[in-house]
This record gives sequence, structure tokens and C-alpha cells, in this order.
Amino acid sequence: MNMNPILAMMGLSGGELIIMLIAFLISCGGLAAAVVLVIWLLKRQSKTPIPPPSPPQLPKRSCPQCRSELAADAPQGLCPRCLMKSGFESRSGEAPRNTAVPSLEDIAKAFPQLEITGVIGKGGMGTVYKARQSQLDRFVALKILSPELSRDPAFAERFSREARALARLNHPNIVNVYDFGKSGNFYFFIMELVDGLNLWQMEQAKKPLAPEEALAIIPRICDALQYAHDQGIVHRDIKPANILLDKQGRVKIADFGLAKLLGTETKGMGLTQAQAAMGTPHYMAPEQWEKPLAVDHRADIYSLGVVFYEMLTGELPLGRFQSPSRKVQMDVRLDEVVLRALEKEPELRYQQASEVKCAVETIADSQITR
Amino acid sequence: MTSRQRPAQSSSPAEFAATRWSLVLSAQANDSPQSDDALETLCRNYWRPLYVYIRRQGLSLHDAQDLTQAFFARLLEKNFLAAVAPGNGKFRSFLLASLKHFLANEWDKVRAQKRGGGKTFVSLDYETAEVCCAADSGEGAPDAIFDRRWAVTLLERTLARLRQEYISDGKEAVFEQLKEMLTGEQQSIPYAAVARRLASSEGAVKVAVHRLRRRYRELLRAEIADTVSGHEEIEEELRHLFAVLGG
Repeated sequence: MNMNPILAMMGLSGGELIIMLIAFLISCGGLAAAVVLVIWLLKRQSKTPIPPPSPPQLPKRSCPQCRSELAADAPQGLCPRCLMKSGFESRSGEAPRNTAVPSLEDIAKAFPQLEITGVIGKGGMGTVYKARQSQLDRFVALKILSPELSRDPAFAERFSREARALARLNHPNIVNVYDFGKSGNFYFFIMELVDGLNLWQMEQAKKPLAPEEALAIIPRICDALQYAHDQGIVHRDIKPANILLDKQGRVKIADFGLAKLLGTETKGMGLTQAQAAMGTPHYMAPEQWEKPLAVDHRADIYSLGVVFYEMLTGELPLGRFQSPSRKVQMDVRLDEVVLRALEKEPELRYQQASEVKCAVETIADSQITR
Repeated sequence: MTSRQRPAQSSSPAEFAATRWSLVLSAQANDSPQSDDALETLCRNYWRPLYVYIRRQGLSLHDAQDLTQAFFARLLEKNFLAAVAPGNGKFRSFLLASLKHFLANEWDKVRAQKRGGGKTFVSLDYETAEVCCAADSGEGAPDAIFDRRWAVTLLERTLARLRQEYISDGKEAVFEQLKEMLTGEQQSIPYAAVARRLASSEGAVKVAVHRLRRRYRELLRAEIADTVSGHEEIEEELRHLFAVLGG
């Protein structure tokens, strides 16, 4: 209530004044007048407060391209008409892919026992999510295979057979598979979550690696390969993206045997399809292209050689490539190891991953004593 | 971040089998949990155009909410699809046609029943929907308003997914900086100016913008695919929605 400034000067609050007035009126015998005053006061208080001044009108925004007015509900502040128009643009040959890209809600629905917390990565074979297993109170990696790749009718049978073999791999340098199967429309693996980077990411940050770093990593990969080969499982897709390094510096190989499971090498799949599904071909042994049926564990040794070469030199061994020691400062004895792993003929390579490890460690050990 | 590899494209029906509307259509009488789920999700994703249409009929807020809930409850009943026979059309057309049918034939009876008798389909964000109603209060036939709201909903969903992908990749800032370049001709983007503004190289900006636009197109088409029953219908639906938006 606005009070007379004179009254304010007298030190009377609005409330005190009203009470005095009412008392005065009553004492004057003006009960009716007092009642009228009280009623008037009550009505005034219940009146809705004066609305605040309306916000200044924002200037109407218009689309920079088509000049049409942008409504307040424009998605992400962009012009709907132009957004839809952008949907048309397509280069020739660019087809809509992943028409069945699973959304996080679909995934969450298919895996009620998991709490999906994020996406770790996407590849030709599928998508990997970070998830929490509420019952076991731990984090895991959930790999969902691409619907396209599992469209083969014989896949279900092959999946259960092969996935079981993969799940049996139990080694400190191999990403552990906890569970696998099909839930809803999704073929999945639930795997050990590795908190760290993969070698590809590491090399993005720094390439080439220092020789000591390479020498620390290679023997661990060999351990993993030797173990798996002893179980009769060939990886077939050894490459930096599949080599994980956790925060403790432990090396873990991911995606063992998946290439075979997904049938990316069996006949019936065109070369371009296989090529696309398998990702970069640079790490694959020549026989994986030329004689896919004759592929054995020695293909992994070739891939190991490519990875090793790239770690040391920062480049891929393409065409007539130079020996690593010609490209960087390092122990020349390692040349022999790398080059032998990279032999085009499987018979000429190291025949066992453990031989590669032995050769590398011998050189590394002798470096310390120098 | 490994680069995304792309399987060769095939337009086989099998590729479409997993999209939601196709699942629903193929199930029809023999509904499965997957097809039920698919229909429910589709309804959940696209209820706003329906609500806006209903409000356009002149119904009060209260009645409109009741009607929306009642309609969806009816839609998700087992025998509804068999009765209405959606054929091979698009979900958008089906939804509107079903609503009109419901309004004409069944709403009166349903309204006569006590309120609160049926299960609530889902708690819907009516407030935001009312904002949409205000935005769509201009001239135009109710059907066109429905389609326009459908188009905007589709775009919202697509952009939300796209943004979420960038956030998951730790690239939220990239998305925010480049999203303006989702509209307009790619060749008329002032790459040099943008690069200066972002303290980046022109080449890097070009690549990033290209990727963003491409992924946007993929997601937009995937979102449309979810509501149609065949590959060839995507283009048609895209053209229709563009026309509805004043294109």
C-alpha cells in the first residue's frame, strides 16, 4: 500500500495507521464506517498484484537462407523448411545407410539388466556402449552387432557356436567376454570394459611411438596371440583400434575372432562388401585377400608386423617400404624382426607369436645391459 | 575415434524389416512384443501432431488430453490394426486417418464413460504441446497443420539424435558451432570466415561440416524410414514434408 510520505516521516507504518483509524472510527461510534474501511482493505489486498511489465518484444528472427520468419519452436533455432531441404542433398551413390540404427532407447529396452551410460565407439561391425550391470555393480562394454552384418540366415547357428569359443578365451591380455547372445533384435557381447585408450588413439596423439614403448607393447600382443592360437582361434583383424591400453598400462586385445564370426571372409560376400565391413585392409595379410580359405594363425603375425612397423615409424609398410631403422633412430636388429613378420609368404614368417616375442625380448634385454 | 565404415548399400526388403512401421505392418493380426513395442514407440514419438490437430478441433485442454489418451489406448488395443487395415501406407497418414475415424465413430461413446477409467498411455508433456498449438495457430486446414507439426517433430527428433551423437563423442562444442551450417547450400558456406571464427583451418572446417551434414541426412532418412514401409517411400515422404513446410 502506498503511504503518504508525511506519514512515513511520522514513523508510522501502514498497518499501524489503519489500526489507529479503525479504533478512532469505532470510538467515534462510527462502527459502520469502520466496517466499510475493513472491507475496503480486504478487497484491496485480494486484488491481483500489478503484473510486471511484459518483456521487451524480441525482434522476429528470420532464416538467413530463405528469409522466412523463424517461429519460436524452430528446432535448434534452425529453419524447418531449409532443414528439410538439406535432407534432399545426396551425392550420387550415397545411399541411406543404417536405416535401422538402434537408438539408445531401443538398446535400453532390450537390456533391462543394464544401465546404458554412453557410446564408446562405432565401427563397421557394430557399436560399443558403456553400461553398468546394476546387479553386479560393475561397468561393462556392450557390443551390439550391426543388423546388416547379422542378416545371414545361417548366422544364428554360427553365432552360438563361435561366440561360445570366444567367450572361453581367458587371458590377461585379451578382453574378457562375460556374456553373449541375442536380445530383441540385437546380437550382443557383454565384455570387460577397458578404461583407457586404443593404440589408434594413442598414435593420433603421438606418432611414431618411442621404440621402448613399442617394445613394451609387442610382447603382450604376442602373449595374447599365442594363447588364442593355442585354442585354435585366429583374430584375423589385428589393428591399432583393436589393441587397448588401460590406465595401468596393461595391453588388451579386443574383438578376437569376430571377423570370422561375422563371415566377412566366407565366400558369397562380394569383395567390396567384405572390404567395407572389415574396415581398413592395410593390416591384413596378403593371403586374407588372395586365398581366404587358406588363412591360418600366421595371418595374425603379419598384422602384428604391420602394427609393429607403424608403431616404430609412424607409417604403414606400403609398396616398396623402407626398413624401420632407415626411418627412425632405433636398434637395427629390430628391422629383421619386423621384416620377417611382414613376409608375404606365410611360410617365411615367424611361425609362432611366441617366436616374435622371444626375438623382441632378446633385443630389448640386451639393450639394458649395454 | 575410429572412422565409420559403411557396408555396401542394398535396397533389399530385409533392410526395411527392422524399421518400426514395417514391423507393425508385417505383424498386423499376429502381433508380437516387438511389433507392439514398435507401435507404442511410434505413437510416443509422434503424439504432438495429433494433439495439435485435436486442439484445432476446438476442444478444450481438458477434453483434448482425455481424447489423446483415449485414442492411444484404443490404437494400442490388439484388434485395432486389423479393423482399420493400414495396408502399406505411411504411419503419418495412418495415424491421422485413425484419429478421424475415432473422432467420428467412437469418441462420443468413450467420453460418456467415466473419466479416469482407462489407463493413461503415457504422461505427455502437454505444456510444450500447448506451445506448439500456439505456434500452429495460423491459417491452414487442420490436415496441413498436422503435417506441418509432424515435419517439425521429425526434425526435432533427428537433431536431438544428431546432437546426442556428438555429445557422446565428446564433441558437443563442434555441434553447437557448426549446426547453423546444416541449412543452405554447402557450396555457399563461407568456410574461410568460419575457420577464422573458430580458430581452425579451412580444411578441417570443411571436413567437419561435410561429416555433420552427411550424418544429419542419414539420421533424417532413418527417422523417416521408421514411419514408412519401403525404401522408395522415403524420398516421397521427404518431398511431401518439404512441401508442407512451404517448400
